Amino acid sequence: MAGNVEPGTDQRRRTNDERAIPQNKHRSSFIVRPSSPILRRNIWRLLRLWKLYALLDFTFLLADLKLALTWYISDGIVNLASVTATLLLADRFAGIGAWGRYEVVFLLGYATVVSGLMNMFFGYNVLTISRRLGRGQLDHTLIQPQPIWLSLLTEGFMPFSGSPMLLPGIALLVWSASRLSLAITPGWLALLALNLAASSVVVLAFSFLWGSLAFWAPRAAEEISSSSIRLLYQLKGFPLDGLGSLLLSGMLTVLPVGFVAWYPCRALLGLDPLAWSRWITPLAALSFAIVTSWIFRKGMRYYGSTGSQRYSSLGHRG
Amino acid sequence: MTKLLHKYWKTAAMAASSYVGDSPLFLIDYLLRLLRVIVLLSIWRTILAGKGTVSGMTLDAVLTYTLVAEVFAAQLSPRTTLDEVFWNGTIVGRLLQPLGIFGQFSADMFGRWLFEFSVFSVPLLLFAPLLGVSALPAGAGAAGLFVLSLALAISVGLAIEFVFGGLLVLLQLPHWAVSQVRGAITTLLSGAIVPLALLPQGVGAAFAWMPFASMASAPLQIYTGTGEPLELLALQVGWSIVLWPLAHWLWRVSRERMVAYGG
Amino acid sequence: MEALVHNATAASDIVVELRGVCKTFRQKQRSERLRDTLRTMFRPPIREVRALQQIDLQIRRGEIVAYAGPNGAGKSTTVKLLSGMLTPDTGTVRSLGMDPVRDRVRYVGKIGVVFGQRTELWMDHPIAASFEWKRVVWDIPRPRYERMRDLVKELLGLGEFFNSLTRELSLGQKMRAELGLALLHEPELLFLDEPTIGLDVLAKRTILDFIKDLNREQRVTVMLTSHDMAELELLAGRIVMIDHGKIAFDGSFDRLRRDVSDQRRLLLETANSTPPTLGGATLMKSAASRHEYTFDATQTKIATLLEQAASQTQVLDVETHRAPIDEVIADIYRQWQR
Repeated sequence: MAGNVEPGTDQRRRTNDERAIPQNKHRSSFIVRPSSPILRRNIWRLLRLWKLYALLDFTFLLADLKLALTWYISDGIVNLASVTATLLLADRFAGIGAWGRYEVVFLLGYATVVSGLMNMFFGYNVLTISRRLGRGQLDHTLIQPQPIWLSLLTEGFMPFSGSPMLLPGIALLVWSASRLSLAITPGWLALLALNLAASSVVVLAFSFLWGSLAFWAPRAAEEISSSSIRLLYQLKGFPLDGLGSLLLSGMLTVLPVGFVAWYPCRALLGLDPLAWSRWITPLAALSFAIVTSWIFRKGMRYYGSTGSQRYSSLGHRG
Repeated sequence: MTKLLHKYWKTAAMAASSYVGDSPLFLIDYLLRLLRVIVLLSIWRTILAGKGTVSGMTLDAVLTYTLVAEVFAAQLSPRTTLDEVFWNGTIVGRLLQPLGIFGQFSADMFGRWLFEFSVFSVPLLLFAPLLGVSALPAGAGAAGLFVLSLALAISVGLAIEFVFGGLLVLLQLPHWAVSQVRGAITTLLSGAIVPLALLPQGVGAAFAWMPFASMASAPLQIYTGTGEPLELLALQVGWSIVLWPLAHWLWRVSRERMVAYGG
Repeated sequence: MEALVHNATAASDIVVELRGVCKTFRQKQRSERLRDTLRTMFRPPIREVRALQQIDLQIRRGEIVAYAGPNGAGKSTTVKLLSGMLTPDTGTVRSLGMDPVRDRVRYVGKIGVVFGQRTELWMDHPIAASFEWKRVVWDIPRPRYERMRDLVKELLGLGEFFNSLTRELSLGQKMRAELGLALLHEPELLFLDEPTIGLDVLAKRTILDFIKDLNREQRVTVMLTSHDMAELELLAGRIVMIDHGKIAFDGSFDRLRRDVSDQRRLLLETANSTPPTLGGATLMKSAASRHEYTFDATQTKIATLLEQAASQTQVLDVETHRAPIDEVIADIYRQWQR
């Protein structure tokens, strides 16, 4: 990486100015904006980094056949178990509430695809960010010469080991869509993709929002994002139509289970009377992302001032 | 004997107080669990509304079943810190303690239960009527048999925990994979979330014979008066008799590998 | 080691500058009794730890600075401030002409950090894969990367296990690989936080010799912390000692010895097993006919001691050397504790 030559006068002048400042002003600027050259290269870097982590993931699996088989079999069992209960109930009762059997399957497929995307893009405890923060592992990210968001967006990329949930989810979507006689147009597919991405953003933002608590309480909050994610995943496959309005509002705001699969599926399957319902999940994703970004930045500033008082290598790159 | 019990008690007390060592934020976990049970209750109301009695279960019975499953969630699926200890290699330190290995992990687990029971489970039981659910057992006899069944469920659950631990080491499997699979299978097959009686005919009946059903479905059926107590208790006793020797044997054969596993 | 050409921060001779830096941490206090713990769960008593108090420190380009102090003195806090992981409460931190936090992305591209108790290596991948990862993330041009990779492989002896899984390596092998990883991007400034902890003698020597060569050939500035004083004395020309967050000493090892005391050792081999009594020296140990004494060379002359010994017994052999630096430092720590 080319070094940058700084004029000595600039440095001296800056040093003199700072000597007059007793209180350190850096605390408010711990979230640094990278210098221009790096910012310009970020998209290219993103692709390069995804390629790098994909290669690491691939070689990790290939290194040990037993490990690879264990990974895929265990994920397959977990995947199957996560949808079986709801599928069996839907079969027994010919649907759940106003949702028919195949609409429930579509819902489950959508939810599984979202889980698959999370596993694929945000493995290595990136999704369960509170573990990284709580275990003091953020320092490893801070000594990398790239913006933190770029590290977090790429370090968890596991396209091979993270895909076991994605493919069955897509299969459920395709199968149920064929049984429901949906009008599959390019526009509808684009909306499906947009809503899937939006649901993924909601899950990620939610996890980071709760996970940010680990900045302030590393030990207590270490598992909090995995608890909150677990809750989302346990409830994601259920239609929520029967919930009271207060509870439903909560499921679409404070605990956005509703946006993981239920609401976007209602919109995509035409079960929601609102004309623009297909845009609500993307809008919700944007809102969550903004709020989460603000909280996370606050946490980063706090981290810059206190550091991490504990360190555990559990789950760090291995 | 008193000294031994005192050692286990101290281990349990340390585990109980570890929750409060950092910050009260961990209480949010209980809030999330409360929310989950409220959503599940609503979902059951949606599914079973107007359907009367389904496979011997009324809506009220299913709601009680769901609530009590959450109250005793930790007991119906006992988990120790075994897999974590294996992974980070600290099992060696545990083997250096003058306590039986099964005993120390169990004591640690009971300690964590003490805290959770007092902070979450008892309040949930007491405030059940506010959620429109009756938390009362099907009768005085049911209550007594439930206590016995719960003790047996814990026994079966712990035995399964140690069987999985032994398999983990013997087959040198990655602990996270085993933990995930075990959690997923237990949730589905134990009947903790969905009563086995409400699954399609044949499926529920098949699951009922497996040891996982003895962990959760059996005591919950006894509590809600929706199962034959003697049959359920007999099955639990049978699984305890089968699984504990298996657990001991697995640990004996994997002892040497144990200290090399993980970190 | 061939001289390597690369773009470096020019101009200033001072690469690290801390001015008036203070850092305080807050620790929650908990009781061992459950009753008390529950009572203080929501408002625990707080203990303030003043990790750094008005630290002023400058390091020039090409220096190797040992940063020493008892446990909890503030060493790791200083390294974290200089690595861009922490902000000071007051004061300023400048390194390589940059603010380590504000200019973090650019700054960490020019420094190397090795924490003895943490690793940047990927546990389930071979060392080669970790090196390749570094190349991409640090954006190291391939020719430069290959040159540095081959160099560190040769000098640190990584070749034999370069394609082995990190998880399967010994601690010494991991640390050598860790050091090699930290140097791949040719940092100008290297922070080593207890880099030889837990290593055997040979592994330590390999790493220390490598750091010395690096400093001599490439003028890499090194700041290292360690509890192994002998190792620090071999490597560093300057020692900065920190105690309870304040700099207690900043100078050479020779000056440290002189300022604290000039403790020496005197070994005598005599004709009989009875150790002679020497005024001005304290007998440390005596085995058969070999007797070891300690004395303060600023107070007592060797000639005087030898005269005394010779008057009491036949002296067959004499050996004298300085007190090990560990003992000098231990004396200092004891004084600070009083």
